[in-house]
Amino acid sequence: MSASSAKEVLKLNDVSVSFGGLKAVSQFGISLHESELCGLIGPNGAGKTTVFNLITGVYLPDSGTMDLDGQNLCGLPPHEITKAGIARTFQNIRLYKELTVLENVLVSYHMRKPYGYVDALLRTRQYYAKEHELKEHALRLLSVVGLKNNPDDFAGSLSYGDQRRLEIARALATSPKVLLLDEPGAGLNSGEKVELMKVVSKIRDQFKVTILVIEHDMKFVMGICERILVLDHGELIAEGTPKQIQSNPKVIEAYLGVADA
Amino acid sequence: MADTHSLFFGDQDGLKTPWQILGFALLVLLLMGASALIENNVNPYVQRIIVNCGIGIILGLSLNLVNGCAGQFSLGHAGFMAVGAYVSAYLTTVLMPFGAFFQSDLGVGTAVVAGGLAAGLSGYVVGLPSLRLRGDYLAIVTLGFGEIIRIVFLNISAVGGPRGLPGIPLASNFFWVYLWAIVTFAIIYRLIHSSAGRAILSIREDEISSQSMGVDVSHYKVVAFVISAFFAGVAGGLFAHYQGFIDPNTFNFNRSVEVVIMVVIGGMGSLSGAVIGAVLVTMLPELLRFFAEYRMVIFSGLLVLVMLLRPMGIFGRHEIWEASWFANLKRKPKP
Ligand SMILES: Nc1ncnc2c1ncn2[C@@H]1O[C@H](COP(=O)(O)OP(=O)(O)OP(=O)(O)O)[C@@H](O)[C@H]1O
Ligand SMILES: [Mg+2]
Repeated sequence: MSASSAKEVLKLNDVSVSFGGLKAVSQFGISLHESELCGLIGPNGAGKTTVFNLITGVYLPDSGTMDLDGQNLCGLPPHEITKAGIARTFQNIRLYKELTVLENVLVSYHMRKPYGYVDALLRTRQYYAKEHELKEHALRLLSVVGLKNNPDDFAGSLSYGDQRRLEIARALATSPKVLLLDEPGAGLNSGEKVELMKVVSKIRDQFKVTILVIEHDMKFVMGICERILVLDHGELIAEGTPKQIQSNPKVIEAYLGVADA
Repeated sequence: MADTHSLFFGDQDGLKTPWQILGFALLVLLLMGASALIENNVNPYVQRIIVNCGIGIILGLSLNLVNGCAGQFSLGHAGFMAVGAYVSAYLTTVLMPFGAFFQSDLGVGTAVVAGGLAAGLSGYVVGLPSLRLRGDYLAIVTLGFGEIIRIVFLNISAVGGPRGLPGIPLASNFFWVYLWAIVTFAIIYRLIHSSAGRAILSIREDEISSQSMGVDVSHYKVVAFVISAFFAGVAGGLFAHYQGFIDPNTFNFNRSVEVVIMVVIGGMGSLSGAVIGAVLVTMLPELLRFFAEYRMVIFSGLLVLVMLLRPMGIFGRHEIWEASWFANLKRKPKP
């Protein structure tokens, strides 16, 4: 274990998966600590998104173990994994386009069953109280990511950058222990990226959530992550602080290629 | 304070239960008045169309929950209607275990609900394949289920087989049909505007996101199917006790398609759209009787025209009171 004495939250051991003949991820292992901000980098096709899909139950690993706070995650369906405390965003934005911004966030509260069918159909006091409470909470999350101005717009009508923010708010609404962000800065201009870096750091500080972020922009990763994991051809080739990673020959090789025959 | 909108939909702070009950009682009285008025002043042919509109509204609203809200394309709605019609008619016509009871209004009401429950159960069975199938494949499977249900009734001699089941007590009327239509609307509206309803909508929008945000997608697909089938069964029961006679052919594939058209014309996911779609699809063929044999050609032409002008249906995914021209009536523009 590193110098950090914080509690271990998410632990993956020897996780592998292959698609046909392609070993997309092989013997991958990580251990994330409480409220750590960790980066996952690697060239295109390295298997980063596949790691997220394994953690969130979209793919079942061929081998290996994954657990969250001691709870085994392997074999759980995605919604159970979310309930256990892992939330994610998607590289190719997947919002509920024809629901409003606010509704996009509200969906995430459903797994905790705020009230029952009877409350909904009879519109009991409980229904109004809970709906009110959830809306307030959702609006607070939206303002954290900088989206408080247009809660009633359709998600599909938002600008690209705002859609990425909304994805983060929606994931946060599940009250995760671990938040997985898949290229949250993709397609944003440099100004928006600086904003986003602030938002991500703020979320970690404010919610004490562990964040694993995939990002190609090195300024972004080096700027906010305490620790960086480097993936290449499905294998973890390096791990360390931004400084260590920057000067690691294996990493430079993976990104720039080697000049041998 | 209790304007009609908040009576029906509740407002920000909520209507206290006594007000809700009072509102409902008021509605029932109003409906009774309308019923008496129509039964005494409107000619039987028009009455029949009005009642059929009401049954269509229940069918359209219920199918809309699966096709429009959950985004699962079901093509077997007539099958659920058949289950409701046959089960309720069997109770009131063939079985009659409690003699006079099933002849009374309360008895018929009970039979109709029983028909709905039986249909809900069959909805559970049809909902299961929807967990694995989507799009065209699901449409084909539900179509198959609808036909299987029809053929099962075709072969049960206890309910008349191909000859049909005559002599069903004529207990259903304008009042009961529209009371159920309002109840269906209110229940589905309130469901959709609740936490569970948002979960259902999120499945339509993006199943992968939905499950990743903790929604048990399989569970809510089945929930949508069961509720939808329940109301289709109720519509079937009301229909049986209005016609006095049912046969398997009444619930064939054409009937399923008719309901799909109601939903598509009105706008998938729009409750008021389903209502207007149901009224259009029921009334237009009657209004076009003037054109004799060209009637269905013109009807189809009109449907094509609507789809060309409004590919998302008349109201798209929205409700009539959200449409801009309507909203403008209520709201003064901001300065
Ligand atoms: N469902 C799948 N079936 C087959 N192959 C897949 C599947 N998912 C991913 N792959 C393959 O696995 C490899 C890793 O893909 P992955 O999406 O994880 O890469 P990535 O590191 O996220 O890349 P990028 O930076 O481009 O997003 C790729 O070669 C990809 O084609
Ligand atoms: Mg990726």
